Amino acid sequence: MAYLTQPDYVKYICSCGQLKPITSLYFCRHCLKIRCGFCICHEVDSHYCANCLENMPSSEARLKKNRCSSCFDCPSCFHTLSTRATMAQPRQVVQDPAAGGDTKVESKQPKKMYYLSCFNCRWTSRDVGIPDQPVASGGWPERTNPHAARVNQLLEYYKAIALQEKQEKIERERKKFNIRGKYITLTDKTGLTGAMARNIAGLPSSESSSSAIASFVPSQAKEEVEELPEDIFTKEVNLNQITSMPQRLASPEWQPPSVSRLHPLAKLLSVKRSQRCRACDHNLTKPEYNPGSIKFKIELLAYYHVPEVKIISHEPVKPGGKSALLLKLTNPTGHEMQLRLLQPEDIPPPEEKEEPKSIEKSLERSLNLEKDTSSLKPMEVVCSPTATSRVRAPDATLTLAQRDDAAEYDDDAQHDTNDIIMWRKSNKLALRLEVVTDEGVAGGAPAVAMVALQYSYRNTVPPAAAAAQPRDHTLYTTVLLDLGTVSSN
Amino acid sequence: MALYEGIALIQEKQAVVLDLGTDYTKFGFTGEAAPRCIVRSEFWCPATRRYRRLHDYRSAAELYDNLVHMLHQLYFRHVLVNPKERKVVVVESLLTPTLFRETLAKVLFIHYEVSGVVWADSPRLCALTLGAPAVLVVSIGAKDVEVAAVVHSCVVLHALQSQPLGARAVHAELARLLDEHNGGPLHLDDQVIEDIKVKTCFVTTRERAAQWSSERPPQPARDVRYGRVTVPGRARELAAEPMFQRDHELASLPDAVLQCVAACPRDVRRALAAGVLVTGGGAALPGLRARLAAELRHLVTQAPYRDTLHVREFKFHDAPSAPNACAWLGGAVLGAGEAGAGRVLAREQYAREPRLRDWVCLLDNTPPAHPHRAYLDI
Repeated sequence: MAYLTQPDYVKYICSCGQLKPITSLYFCRHCLKIRCGFCICHEVDSHYCANCLENMPSSEARLKKNRCSSCFDCPSCFHTLSTRATMAQPRQVVQDPAAGGDTKVESKQPKKMYYLSCFNCRWTSRDVGIPDQPVASGGWPERTNPHAARVNQLLEYYKAIALQEKQEKIERERKKFNIRGKYITLTDKTGLTGAMARNIAGLPSSESSSSAIASFVPSQAKEEVEELPEDIFTKEVNLNQITSMPQRLASPEWQPPSVSRLHPLAKLLSVKRSQRCRACDHNLTKPEYNPGSIKFKIELLAYYHVPEVKIISHEPVKPGGKSALLLKLTNPTGHEMQLRLLQPEDIPPPEEKEEPKSIEKSLERSLNLEKDTSSLKPMEVVCSPTATSRVRAPDATLTLAQRDDAAEYDDDAQHDTNDIIMWRKSNKLALRLEVVTDEGVAGGAPAVAMVALQYSYRNTVPPAAAAAQPRDHTLYTTVLLDLGTVSSN
Repeated sequence: MALYEGIALIQEKQAVVLDLGTDYTKFGFTGEAAPRCIVRSEFWCPATRRYRRLHDYRSAAELYDNLVHMLHQLYFRHVLVNPKERKVVVVESLLTPTLFRETLAKVLFIHYEVSGVVWADSPRLCALTLGAPAVLVVSIGAKDVEVAAVVHSCVVLHALQSQPLGARAVHAELARLLDEHNGGPLHLDDQVIEDIKVKTCFVTTRERAAQWSSERPPQPARDVRYGRVTVPGRARELAAEPMFQRDHELASLPDAVLQCVAACPRDVRRALAAGVLVTGGGAALPGLRARLAAELRHLVTQAPYRDTLHVREFKFHDAPSAPNACAWLGGAVLGAGEAGAGRVLAREQYAREPRLRDWVCLLDNTPPAHPHRAYLDI
């Protein structure tokens, strides 16, 4: 829990150059690289309603405009509306002789009627004159956009124009062709006209498209514009009757200016997202389909794969001085881990291993050259983190045992301590290190120490059939430690 | 019908229309009559623990970051679609800074991997929603008022007028009037000012505005008690006055409109004046169109326009949308038809040559036969 509330004291450098705490990083098992929310591809996985936890297939969600059909939000305060039931005595139908006898019998017993009510601001659907419904869910009147008809006209008009343009272009090209060649086209020979051919093929005839153009009436400008209402200078303003901007914009189609025109808002669906590595297109996380579940089918988080660094304590950092630093390292994987501390400069540059394996591969590459997308590489933030201090890295390889859930209950720490290792307990290790600060750092500046980790990683992905990949890898990561501020003396 | 729509959607993913305004962002699908969402152009920044405005940036990298966050919120919180392999219609002002356009292109093509972007300017899109041949688009945005003449879907570029008289100017005046009335600076938040404006303010008539500036002010409208602040009737009436205040520079809103008409070719002036469209979020203020009409009809009979501009008739269009989503609707109409597909800047094309066409760029606005063209095609 400390991760949620505390500032991020320890930050890792992502492969794209961003600085993130380990809890917001991913680890791609296929590229063996750390990824973050900035350099991966987010995708919509499934739609669901956050209120009734109902799944909705994406095609249905598209048709329903991403709105839940049974849940509503309050148009006034955006709280979720609740359905209330009342016993309504139906109106006496005695005055209506045409209704017949059986309705009269039915009217004797009170009927359950439902309305929507907000428990937060006491808004009800009766306030705006929406009739009560006989069924508990659904059936609420839907409103249509007042401009929908006109917009449809516009759409048809511009579609017709585009079609006409296209036909004219084809016609022009055909004419060009006719001039050059002296062949008789099929239509000339058989007397089949273009309109008939179009009719047979089931295409819209050219007349219909031109009729959409002909029947379109451009907007007519009017001389008179709506004047201010006469009583605006004398009328008292009731602020409770006028909607605020968020209330208006919650329904972009209507944007009601007065409270009496507010309608319940169908609840917007939420999505579960899956994450994908941009480099290898493998999924990094994939949620379970059930909206109630917070688990993942695939969950490649850095927290489960990369050694975790925590600061236990440290001495105040002084310019030009040395101070002690106690770090805790944890191995989250199920395999033993060899770990070394390095200086960030000592990380070897990643070697390029690009050998075209077969002719097909090289052919593919040469094809790719044509549609050169090299300029479409994702932006890499070249951040040069400025560290004020260095961690004096001990020249020793540390071994971290695998994570063992049973060992959690073992209390006694193993004391194979030396001058670096303070204590060791199952997969955790406490280190006593020394931090050397630069001479020229001003007092009061934030003190940041940088250290690189070299760690062995065993890949547990089942290898592809052909390629026998090595299972053990040596990986590197760089960590920035926040050591408070540099003391001034 | 629904079934056929489904089939059409499988073939081509419905494109999205993006209008990143200074204050409000409009986002939705093409072919629909209204945007799916109109939200403030800001996003939650966890590092600083406060909302960050999209248009507050000092460098290209910062803007890139802002756009990534904003678009993420729009795609995954509001519209709920995958940005990848989907076309985008970007509604932009003609005066959008080059840095903003290019960074937006980078974010869309590289970060979100969209398949194509249609860049469309808002005056033409506003005119598209009317279908009329000559429209004078007066768009009142958050910062600027832009007046552009659109004749047969072409913007008369040299007649483009822009003045900093948008909603911000009204907010500043309202804050000043409130401070004056309540004796001392109130330091009201911009959103509170906006709320006061939306709920209480209106644009007063021409006669009353003249009376207010004379010796004997008229009986003001009723005061409104807004929490602990009293909004006097004077402030309610006069908050929008900066738009109509004339000085020697002739920089008021009606002046901008008349200057735009005067700068247009002689034979379209009359048609433009008979087809004024007032759009933008600022145009929703009650009485604004009436006041603008009255001012235009009066000013055109005064000096400097009396002799140069022989237009006496002003007519106003009604767009088939709320004023703040008019340009967006144009984008939705454009993107739905095949006309939009032909104007798309595809991802492959951008990959080959990562630059955008722009009307100010000589590479794009020099005709092929122009003698200077030879120097440009190197």
